Amino acid sequence: MVKECLLCEQTLDATPSWQSLLGLDQQAFICGDCSNSFKRADIDIKEEGTTIDRTTSLYKYNAAMKEFLHQFKFLQDVALAEVFADDLRRVLKKDAIIVPIPMHPAKKVARTFAQVEALLKSANVPYMDVLEKTDMVSMGEKTKAERLAMPSLFKVKTNVTIKPTTYIVVDDIYTTGTTLRHAATALKEAGATRVEAVTLIRA
Amino acid sequence: MAYTFNTEVKNFLSGRIWLRAHTPFPAETIDAYIASGDIQIIPGIKSEKTTWSQMKHICNRCQNDEPSRFTTFDCAKCEGPCTYCRKCLKMGRVSTCTELIIWAGEQTVYPTIHSFAWNGILTTHQQKASEELMRSTELQRSHLIYAVCGAGKTEILFQPIYQLLTEGKRVCIAAPRVDVILELEPRLREAFPSTLIEALYGGAKPGIGPAQLILATTHQLYRFQEAFDVVFVDEADAFPYTADETLEHAVKKAVKKSAPIHFVTATPSKQLIAGRKRNASISTIQRRYHGHPLPVPRYETLWHYTRHIKKGSLPKKLLTWTAQRLQKQEPFLIFFHNIALMELAEPLFQKLDAGVKAIHAAHPERKEIVRSLRNKQLPGLLTTTILERGITIPNVQVAVIGAEQKIFDKGALIQIGGRVGRSSDHPDGDFVLFHHGITYAMDDAKTEIIRLNEGGVSW
Repeated sequence: MVKECLLCEQTLDATPSWQSLLGLDQQAFICGDCSNSFKRADIDIKEEGTTIDRTTSLYKYNAAMKEFLHQFKFLQDVALAEVFADDLRRVLKKDAIIVPIPMHPAKKVARTFAQVEALLKSANVPYMDVLEKTDMVSMGEKTKAERLAMPSLFKVKTNVTIKPTTYIVVDDIYTTGTTLRHAATALKEAGATRVEAVTLIRA
Repeated sequence: MAYTFNTEVKNFLSGRIWLRAHTPFPAETIDAYIASGDIQIIPGIKSEKTTWSQMKHICNRCQNDEPSRFTTFDCAKCEGPCTYCRKCLKMGRVSTCTELIIWAGEQTVYPTIHSFAWNGILTTHQQKASEELMRSTELQRSHLIYAVCGAGKTEILFQPIYQLLTEGKRVCIAAPRVDVILELEPRLREAFPSTLIEALYGGAKPGIGPAQLILATTHQLYRFQEAFDVVFVDEADAFPYTADETLEHAVKKAVKKSAPIHFVTATPSKQLIAGRKRNASISTIQRRYHGHPLPVPRYETLWHYTRHIKKGSLPKKLLTWTAQRLQKQEPFLIFFHNIALMELAEPLFQKLDAGVKAIHAAHPERKEIVRSLRNKQLPGLLTTTILERGITIPNVQVAVIGAEQKIFDKGALIQIGGRVGRSSDHPDGDFVLFHHGITYAMDDAKTEIIRLNEGGVSW
């Protein structure tokens, strides 16, 4: 079967190799050109003892990434969750409980999928959906001042117990950090000892 | 009031297949027509089990049936496995739980009174082709106009289109590239001033009037179903046409049952000729409308041009050629096979003249830049094959960098050469192939051009 790049649709070169014959090579979903258009951010901030003990972001929010998010979230191209699956799997290979930032149920139905869950599913990372939103407003519609002054955005679901261990909250994009801080606060107040954050993109 | 609304919805949806959630009308209006049976709902994706109990999907909008172009996921809306088509994704996603709508009510009646304001005169060859095309249309059989670049293909279509319009028929001219549509639109508006014409391409917003003559990129045809009495496919051989079966299905889906599909091209494929040869429905024109021969390409070696450009200098021959064009103030097009190489070369050309610009399919100002070249505001352009066809710039001189590259096949080279000498004031011009080795495609193109000039039939 001829495979095409998920982003630019050009045919992916399938150079036969021993690796591919033995099934050892990594499966490519995008072409080299598209892959090079994304720029690594590789942000890793450790602030032990604060709300978020460690924040990791993988990529910069450049034009290519903007285009990617648009196609993934607004054109609803779920298949694109595969593009960064390997990257996410690598950073999430830890002894911790992975928690996606939740979406409002109505919004999830409108989009037909929750983007963070889709990313985690493609990465084959087991996760626990322990948080829920307290209201409907999306972060993007608020000013920075409004975001900072928000009451708690998330709460732990009623029949869930939070263990005294490390949790990693995952989101697609880090803008002001408000979303992640709210999620971390909710988890710590419910008994988590340590909360880390991982985002695919850093704006 | 209710009645006017009815016509608007009817006029818009007639012949279209549209996303229920994205019409220009309020949801309640659409709901009311669904209830009355005037609008019919079609599921977005048709899925059936094959013999090996694998799922086979077909997109009801774009007719895509390639398994690799579908993705199945766990849908939060229909709460189950849901499949969507990635082929026409950019027109708004179509999935298993997406509803498409078609107009099933009384059909729009198009006017039969039109004015025909073109007062040019056809050459004998054009006249003959035009009559043959009309005859084929009457017989409802597919026709091929095989005419050299600059033969005046568009004018050949005028009379047959006028005939169809006065019969109240709905007509579509489809072309694979937006540049071709943009070039055709003003000419057709001028020729048919009282006809409601609509040009559809990516980014153009569809109007809600009952457009009788539609100009559309072949992609836009995905959104039509049994809409047209005739479709003319211009530049029929061009990308993505030959390569893309889905588009062929899309054209077939867009015409009414048994309606003819006509093809117009300078470089028909063997299949295209074979398909029409059986019932003798081919018209050939081997002379340009001004009677001058097609420019024959000349070869110039440009060894290791990639290396030169990567090192930051233009090869000497190319430099001299460009400097001459600038000095003589002749507009020029320089074709590249690869965007990255072209963008490396752009600043090098700008050292000669700051006005030289590079364009490619995804360039945001593509339309404006081509217009400035035509208006003589720019000295020349570097381009990918997007400008190989459909555009006319008087006295343009053409060079191909790396004519040996695979993308420059026989058809592409003939089309590129066809840009040269199109106007009767400047029936000549330079057509140079700079190369790192001569390919069969280059020789084939050259032989074909010479043969056409000698008046030989080429199939």
